Amino acid sequence: MLTVALPKGRIAEDTLEIFASIFGEEFKFDDRKLILETPNFKFLLVRNQDVATYVYHQAADIGVVGLDTLEEQGLDVIRLLDLNKGVCKVSIGMRKGEKLDLNKPELKVATKMVNITKRYFAERAVAVDIIKLYGSIELAPLVGLADMIVDVVETGATMKQNGLEVVADIMTSSTYLIANKNSYFEKKSEVLDIFEKISKVVEND
Amino acid sequence: MMLEHEIPQGTKLYFGNTAKIKREIEAVASDVLYKADYEELITPLFSYHQHLSIADEKELIRVNDTQNHQLTLRADSTIDVVRLLDKRLGRNTSHQKWFYIQPIYMYPSKELYQIGAEYIGEKDLSKTLQSAIDIVKALKIKPLLQLSNIRIPELISQELGIDLDLFKHINIQKLLDRKVDWLKAIIYLEKLEDIDSVIEVVPDIIKLELERIKVLAQDIEYDNFVIAPLYYAKMLYYDELYFRMIEKNDVFARGGRYVNDEVTSVGFALYTDKIIEKLEGSK
Repeated sequence: MLTVALPKGRIAEDTLEIFASIFGEEFKFDDRKLILETPNFKFLLVRNQDVATYVYHQAADIGVVGLDTLEEQGLDVIRLLDLNKGVCKVSIGMRKGEKLDLNKPELKVATKMVNITKRYFAERAVAVDIIKLYGSIELAPLVGLADMIVDVVETGATMKQNGLEVVADIMTSSTYLIANKNSYFEKKSEVLDIFEKISKVVEND
Repeated sequence: MMLEHEIPQGTKLYFGNTAKIKREIEAVASDVLYKADYEELITPLFSYHQHLSIADEKELIRVNDTQNHQLTLRADSTIDVVRLLDKRLGRNTSHQKWFYIQPIYMYPSKELYQIGAEYIGEKDLSKTLQSAIDIVKALKIKPLLQLSNIRIPELISQELGIDLDLFKHINIQKLLDRKVDWLKAIIYLEKLEDIDSVIEVVPDIIKLELERIKVLAQDIEYDNFVIAPLYYAKMLYYDELYFRMIEKNDVFARGGRYVNDEVTSVGFALYTDKIIEKLEGSK
C-alpha cells in the first residue's frame, strides 16, 4: 500500500487521471473529503506547498509537486520523475522599460519564493533586500515597495496586465513525482512499479 | 521573553519512563559490546580539533579556552575517539575495540544521544555490524537494514560521467535515460539472491564493490535487509561499505568503513533518541 500526497486542484485531477488510465478504474475524491482509499493506494489531498512536507515526514510515501516548490523548500526527498506537466518559469519581473542592473548597491525584491531568490542573487554576489509577500506580488514594483519581483510565470499575461515584463528567467519548473527516502528503500518494488507505469503514460503524452 | 517552562529547541528532556528506557538501551548496548570485547571510552565534551574534520563548520558550537584558542563542543564522537586513540592513548593501550555512550551537540541547541563503536585497524565491516545487530536484537526491535557501498555511485559517476547529485537525489529517471542495461540492473537490485546476476553484467571495477556487499550480507545473522547499491550521501568519513538501520521515517543506526591516517577501521553509531521513541511507542 502506497500513500500518495496530491496538491489540491488541477495537478490532483491530472494525476488521478494518470492513475485511472493505468489501472482502468476511476479515482475520485468524494465531495470535500481529503482522503481517498483504494485497495492499493491511499490518496491525500493537501495544499501544494505541503506536499513535500507530507512526503519528507513520510505521512505519504510519494507525492506530486512542482519543482519550484521543491527548490524553494529544499527538503531531502527523492525526485523520481518529471511529469512534464504544469510547466512554468520562475522569473524576475520589472516595470516595463526598466532594465535589470546587478551593479546597484542593493536591490529590493518582493517574492513568495524567498530561498530561490536569495540563492539566485547570492550566486551573482548581489546584495538584496528580500520582501516576503503571500500574493498579488505584481503590485510591489507599482507602488514602490520593491524594485522587482520574483514570481512564477506561466504565460506572462498577469505581469503584462500590470505593466510589468520579464527581464530574466531563474528556472524552469514542472511537476515531479517525488518519494520519501526511507519509503523508497522499504517499498522499492512498489515505488519502482508505479514509477514505470507513470513513466509510460508520460512518454506517450 | 523566555517563559519558565521553555527549553531550547532541539534539546532533550527525558524523565520517568523515557529516562528508564534510555538507561535500559544503554545497559543492553554496553552489555553486548563488553561481551564482544569492546572497552568503553568517554571523550571530552570540549575539543580543539572538531573543526578540522567536520563537513559543515556551521554546525559547531564554539567557545574559547583561557588562551583564547578556539574550542568547540563535540559534534561528532568518531573524530575524537579515533584521534585520541591514535595521538594520545597510543602509548597507553593497544586495544582496538572501543565503544562510547555520549551525546553530541550541534548549533544552535541540538542534542543527540548516541551509542557508538569503533574497531580500529579492522577492515571487515561485518565485525561491527554484527554487534549493532546484536544490540537491536537484544532490544527486540527489527529495523530494516540497508546495505550500501559508497564506492559504487562514485565509480559509476566516473565511468559514465554522471553527476553524483543524481545519486544523492536518487533521480531514477535521469539514470534510466542513460539507457545503460547494467545501470538499470543495479537500480532494480534489492535482494541478495539477485546480486550474482547483476555482478555478471556490470563493469569489472564495479563487480568488486558489489561482491563486497554480497560478502557482508552473507556474513551477518539478520534477515530483514535490502541491498541499496546506489545509495549516496556526502559522508564525513565512511568511504566504502556502509549501512543504515531504518524504520518508517527514522534512522536507528549508521555505520561503515573509513580510513584515518592510512589506518582502515570500521564503526557505527546508534541513535538513542530515535530508539527511545520506538520503544516508548511500543510499550
